Amino acid sequence: MLWDAIGFYGMALFLIFFALKTITVPNPIHAALYLVLTMIGLAGMFFNLGAHFIAGVQMIVYAGAVMVLFVMVLMLFDLKAEIRSFSRGLLSGALKIMSSALLVGFALGSAGSSVAILDSSDTAPTQIDVTRQLGVLLYTKYLFAFEVLGILLLVVAVGVVAVSRMKGGTHAQH
Amino acid sequence: MPSTETILNVGLTHYLALSAVIFSFGMIAVLMRKNVIVMLMGVELMLNAVNLSFIAFAKESGNLSGHIMVFFVMTIAAAEAGVGLALAVAIYKKFHEVNIRFFEHLRG
Amino acid sequence: MNHAILILTLLIAPLLGFAFNGLRFRSHNAYLAGSVATAASFISFLCSLALFFQLKDLPPEARHLTSRFFDWIVVGDLRVPFGFTVDQISAIMILIITGVGSLIHLFSIGYMSHDERPSKYFAYLNLFLFNMLVLVLGDNLLITFVGWEGVGLCSYLLIGFWFSDPAKAAAGMKAFVTNRIGDAGFLIGMFILFFTYGTLTYSDLLQLIPQVVESTWTGPLTLAFLFLFIGATGKSAQIPLYVWLPDAMAGPTPVSALIHAATMVTAGVYLFVRLSPALIFAPHAMEVIAWTGAATALVAATIGITQWDIKKILAYSTVSQLGYMFLAVGVGAFGAAQFHLMTHAFFKALMFLGSGSVIHAMHEEQDVRKMGGLRKYLPITHFTFVLGWLAIIGIPPFAGFFSKDEILWQAFSSPHGSKALWFVGALTAACTAFYMTRLMALTFWGKSRFGKDVHPHESPPSMTIPLMVLGLLSVIGGWVGIPHVLGAVLPGHPSNLFEGWLKPVIGHVAHHEPNVIMEWALMGVSVSLAGLGAWFAYHNYLVQPNLPKAVAAKLGPVYRAVANKYYVDEFYDRFLINPLIATSKAIWLYIDVNVIDKVTYFAGDLVSGLASFAKTVQNGKTQSYALYMALGVAIIMTFVMWRG
Repeated sequence: MLWDAIGFYGMALFLIFFALKTITVPNPIHAALYLVLTMIGLAGMFFNLGAHFIAGVQMIVYAGAVMVLFVMVLMLFDLKAEIRSFSRGLLSGALKIMSSALLVGFALGSAGSSVAILDSSDTAPTQIDVTRQLGVLLYTKYLFAFEVLGILLLVVAVGVVAVSRMKGGTHAQH
Repeated sequence: MPSTETILNVGLTHYLALSAVIFSFGMIAVLMRKNVIVMLMGVELMLNAVNLSFIAFAKESGNLSGHIMVFFVMTIAAAEAGVGLALAVAIYKKFHEVNIRFFEHLRG
Repeated sequence: MNHAILILTLLIAPLLGFAFNGLRFRSHNAYLAGSVATAASFISFLCSLALFFQLKDLPPEARHLTSRFFDWIVVGDLRVPFGFTVDQISAIMILIITGVGSLIHLFSIGYMSHDERPSKYFAYLNLFLFNMLVLVLGDNLLITFVGWEGVGLCSYLLIGFWFSDPAKAAAGMKAFVTNRIGDAGFLIGMFILFFTYGTLTYSDLLQLIPQVVESTWTGPLTLAFLFLFIGATGKSAQIPLYVWLPDAMAGPTPVSALIHAATMVTAGVYLFVRLSPALIFAPHAMEVIAWTGAATALVAATIGITQWDIKKILAYSTVSQLGYMFLAVGVGAFGAAQFHLMTHAFFKALMFLGSGSVIHAMHEEQDVRKMGGLRKYLPITHFTFVLGWLAIIGIPPFAGFFSKDEILWQAFSSPHGSKALWFVGALTAACTAFYMTRLMALTFWGKSRFGKDVHPHESPPSMTIPLMVLGLLSVIGGWVGIPHVLGAVLPGHPSNLFEGWLKPVIGHVAHHEPNVIMEWALMGVSVSLAGLGAWFAYHNYLVQPNLPKAVAAKLGPVYRAVANKYYVDEFYDRFLINPLIATSKAIWLYIDVNVIDKVTYFAGDLVSGLASFAKTVQNGKTQSYALYMALGVAIIMTFVMWRG
């Protein structure tokens, strides 16, 4: 149990550090790289929670595909570190941080108060079972949603090509 | 102040707390960063934080629907990242910068 | 075919024409616009013919086809159906409106071919036609009023059609404002009728009105008719509101022919013929109408003698002829009024179109002093104009003779008439003959007085064909109303078809035994007066061209008064319009600026102040909007947590 706790806290500290770096570093490329680290940390968390398959998908889809896309786009733009990477406005900035903090506070508060109800079972099935059951669920109960998602991805793929090829759109100057 | 046992006995609460902190980081990025791509990264962070809480809940309740949700959220997040980046490309083509202020034409 | 469908087609055809030309008002294609408009008008004419023949097949007492499409207004006791009736009176009216209207539409194609905005013109013309049909077909006063206002609007639009000329735009405005004064009277008359009898539908109204002669001046019927007559003086250009009609000649000439001669200005006459079964119980109102009509006829005719603008002469002639019609209405000769309305529509439309042809040929020259000798350049126009001239001065057997003679005889013999009224009418006939002959002499006969660079040319067939048709109608149009004394001696003894047709729907006044010898004698007097006037004018303007100037010089002040239209416009300016403007100005400068403006400005400032505070929220920044979302979520969560 102690080792569990040490592992969790260590990983959590890294995660928080990377996430904080992601949103504060002025250079977008660095932000993207920190985000990759965050994703990998999260995959570790998933693994820790027994969701091995999801952890793998997280590594492949997020840390792999999506982040490569981000980095590629950033490379394409050839962006430099920004001098002013945050929006202006002292009052609105304070408000933004305040509302975020408020939400986190509430989330923490509600999570703390609900522990008693949920923090009980330890009946998780073995790992092979989890992945198999996931597959069964995906192709039986959630089949329709799964197919719809496929269509959504197709539409998005076409839309992305269309959007990035258009010239100016509503900002057209000629 | 929580007892030592609460701190050491890692359970759902700890994961949810971590999820909330990461979510707030993502939210701050969306609210405060000027670069559109970093804002998109903030969105990804928020989605991932939610995924973490899903998995934690699934683990605690022994219900695999949480995993399925995560699966779907990931798919949609990928799609959203694609669209967002395409928009960023479109802006960049026009202004050679991806500052959020180029989207500030929402005033009537 | 079902009469409801016919009525609907009749009404909708010009409306569709209006929509077609109105929607493509920027087009310069006069031929397309004109053809569509003419076709729409012609479809209406065919429907009118069909309705007329349906009506003819019915027994005389049952000759009315009514279609009520829906209830338009239902408020308390007021129930106004959206209904249209075709009976003997409106059948004649729609035949005139669509028939003469079609010819004028056809004429307009040629006349407006060089204009900048032909589509707009034809759209207005079709809209006018629609409104005029609504006016005459409406089965209650309110529907008639809708058409009444509609034709007023179209009249305004068409008088000011060449609005870039301020004088023409002002003429349109004058017509509009003058008509508003009359319309107020019309409305009050309508209120009185509704207040007293509780209905506005013609058939109910005529049944509800007590069959008793009202001997006081302030009885509801007399008052109602007097106010309606104020409305009629506006629309039909009678004293004191006739001043707009001569100015209305600023519009295109076919408009003057259609609206300001043949149809719209006769709306007042139509209204009184329509209400004639009730009018006979209000003798005082009739007296006023008769004398106003007679006075208008004479005044306008004398002004017509001194005018030099070909269209102004015709305009005063129209006012004068409308005066005749009201004289007929006033003496209870409603059939004669309607008859004169019809023949006048023929010959006056003919003459206006003829003058249009002349003006077209002379390149927009309207001054008769700069014309003359046009007979050999414009043979068809001249020939048809002669027909119209003979008709209006009342030479038998042309159309005008029968109708005018009928009116004069009734003015003399009717119990509501008098020798004085007859004398005024006969004098007017002489004046009419004089100024029309003068017009002919100055325009078509004698030596040409225009410059060498003007080369008049005959108009294209699309303009001459309507002239010929109207010319024919000016000759034979009167043969449907041959008086009995004349019919008795003619071969085949033709009866007075027109009178017989209208008999069931118009009011009748008790007549003495007709005095045949007297009628013959008066007929002879009026024809010889006309002949005398014509000969006098011919002598003055062709044989001894210097005589008019000498006469004018001799009659100095009188001539100047007449030539300046008796200073009526100046009188109105001095005593009505200028004081009104001064008062309005005072109200504007003191009350409006100091009180009303301040209140409204304060209200405006208050709102814009509040809004500028609220506006800061809407700053257009995406991230601010995201913040509002986050704040909203935070507030909702606070609330939920608070409540536990």
